Amino acid sequence: MKLDVAVETNDAGVVKVAVKGTVNIHTSPRLRDTLKPLFVNQNKEIHVCLSGVPFMDSSGIATLVEGLQWARQSGGRFALYDLQDTVRDVFSLAKLDSVFDIAEGSFDGNAEEGA
Amino acid sequence: MVEFEVLDLEQSQVGKLKFELICQRDCVHVLHSMVEVIALRAGLTDVETNRVALAVDELFANITDHGYGDTPGRVQFESKIHINDDGMQELHFMFRDYAPVVDIQGWDCGDTTPCSAADITPGGLGMQLIHSIMDVVEHVALDDGNQWTLIYICKQGTKGVGDEA
Repeated sequence: MKLDVAVETNDAGVVKVAVKGTVNIHTSPRLRDTLKPLFVNQNKEIHVCLSGVPFMDSSGIATLVEGLQWARQSGGRFALYDLQDTVRDVFSLAKLDSVFDIAEGSFDGNAEEGA
Repeated sequence: MVEFEVLDLEQSQVGKLKFELICQRDCVHVLHSMVEVIALRAGLTDVETNRVALAVDELFANITDHGYGDTPGRVQFESKIHINDDGMQELHFMFRDYAPVVDIQGWDCGDTTPCSAADITPGGLGMQLIHSIMDVVEHVALDDGNQWTLIYICKQGTKGVGDEA
């Protein structure tokens, strides 16, 4: 039932967020509380690693949509990394896999920009 | 290993789970586990199980948020594995709540494809997911609440209850 969210920021304004646990109506407020303060102009890129997330519902997606909106308003980048098949499937069902920037490659490695 | 001797699912209790809970957000974890059990009993794949559990979670979330307004409320849940007239397995999920009768049109976003982040609304997205996963989504307004039925038809290739026996 616990959702772990770890944040690491570097001097270049790149923020890495690692999420671990199920993201649903019970836990998504924790994700939102962590992400929302990051949506500021000082940050240039926010990379969210979802390798530790086996399940995400629409409340989790809605939380990530706020990141998309920040990116479009600020000119920054909000990217999702390392989606498990089950979570990628939810984005596909929601027809959002082409709306989000879903990066191919590893969170810590050299990733190619997605859609 | 448990062996299922009765393969007539309509008459057996193998494919049935039923419980009552207080509708609060943390109860979604309990519900999710129950749905996973019934989906795995029906032999669904991991992705199918995830989809079915997602749809049920989304309906529960809507009842919690929109039906009861995020205040504790009574919900009865029942699931079963059903064999339809074509011999295919179906998963049936029934919710009964005692919240004010809802206007389902207010929940339903239809089959719209969001083109931008601004098009996405959380409640609408949940209903979109339910409709995209489930083969049947029914709502019945009762005098003292709502009854919901979700039906998922197990596609060919899934393994049924008792196959391992």
